[in-house]
Amino acid sequence: MTSASPGGRPPGAPRDRGESIPPDPPGTLAAGLRLVARGDPDAFDAVYDLLAPSVFGIVRRVVRDPAQSEEVTQEVLLEVWRDAARFDPGRGSATAWVMMLAHRRAIDRVRSVQKESERERRTAAADIPFDEVAEAVESSLERERVRRCLRSLTELQRESVTLAYYGGYTYGQVASLLGVPAGTIKTRMRDALIRLRDCLGVAS
Amino acid sequence: MDAVSGPDRARFERHLAGCAECAREIASLREATARLAAATAVAPPPALKARVVAAAAATRQRPPAEPEAAARGRRAHGGQASGRQARGWRAHGWLGRGRLALAAGAVAAAAVAAAAVLFGLSNGSMHDQLSRAQASSQQVAAVLTARDATMMTGAVKGGGTVTIVMSHARRELVFTAADLHPLPASRGYELWLIGPAGDRAVVMLPPGRHGMTGPVIAAGLRPGDHLALTAAPTGGASRPGPMMLDVVL
Repeated sequence: MTSASPGGRPPGAPRDRGESIPPDPPGTLAAGLRLVARGDPDAFDAVYDLLAPSVFGIVRRVVRDPAQSEEVTQEVLLEVWRDAARFDPGRGSATAWVMMLAHRRAIDRVRSVQKESERERRTAAADIPFDEVAEAVESSLERERVRRCLRSLTELQRESVTLAYYGGYTYGQVASLLGVPAGTIKTRMRDALIRLRDCLGVAS
Repeated sequence: MDAVSGPDRARFERHLAGCAECAREIASLREATARLAAATAVAPPPALKARVVAAAAATRQRPPAEPEAAARGRRAHGGQASGRQARGWRAHGWLGRGRLALAAGAVAAAAVAAAAVLFGLSNGSMHDQLSRAQASSQQVAAVLTARDATMMTGAVKGGGTVTIVMSHARRELVFTAADLHPLPASRGYELWLIGPAGDRAVVMLPPGRHGMTGPVIAAGLRPGDHLALTAAPTGGASRPGPMMLDVVL
């Protein structure tokens, strides 16, 4: 089974000069966002169906609490509605934009709402392996790909990514949880991200 | 002012080219990070959809941002830049369209910063910082690859050399300096645009790394503008002080 990369470009294929991202084909998120930007409610309905599982997934993974996860998911999707006209395709894919929003809002919620004692309790939760899932959505191919690429990292790289990205911990917290200097964490994160990018076949 | 020698100019070109790569590097790391998020997809409670759709119906949308290109004139800006000589400065054709050695250090540093920001590791709104970093890298790249990009190099009074790549059509320039004389802790270098339309401070230069400072962007250049470098208190000055560098653009 071949893996389709976004925009139809095979990994490692050369880019045209001046082009920053692959174009989004019609029927995808970017096309839907263009309609949402004009206030089209049917388009927003469709965009919700496309986005809600991913947004809810990452939010729930970071925030944990089910009620707050729903609140943050709603915040994120409303922000997509509100700012659809400001999405700049030159800066990256629509999915990347929305996932950044979702991750940021989730981290903001975790850091503002949870007290230090709750953060300590969550330390145990960070040990939960990536595989944990309540109900999976289709795109199991993508989940497998990411899972496989995470497995290709060194243990320290993978733990840094898990704690920082899914756990929402700061440098200092990750460093102390892993018993490693903060400078080492920085380098591990960079290496992990580059390896993930290359493994996932994101054109660079 | 003395002209900059070949090896120094090459160093500038590498530094600038590496920073132009940063935008692409950051963008690709953003995409990879988004894949991490999307792989956790889980079906949300069905009741959520009705709430979100209803809330959207009651929410105003924001209009698109002002298109920047419309604000920029495309008219020629006082003649072609290539071949222009200004106060002993050398103008070079910019080789941006050819292959340039990448400043590997600059790209690697961007990757580390990007990783930190993408994962929200520091305090504050990191994603905004990343967006700004990416935006400014893209802006640098846009000037460097502009059709009318011209490079100028020259020496700074008190030490250091400066390289400017300017696009008249975009009315923007990219400024980089090397080996600037260190200033006391309470002071920094400030870039000014001085001209008939009024003097305006562009930016305080960021701290240098490995002897290189910048790149920084100066936008909204107007006819008759000079670019000046001064030493100022770290918060910036209200008027330009004695100029260590004055370039007619």
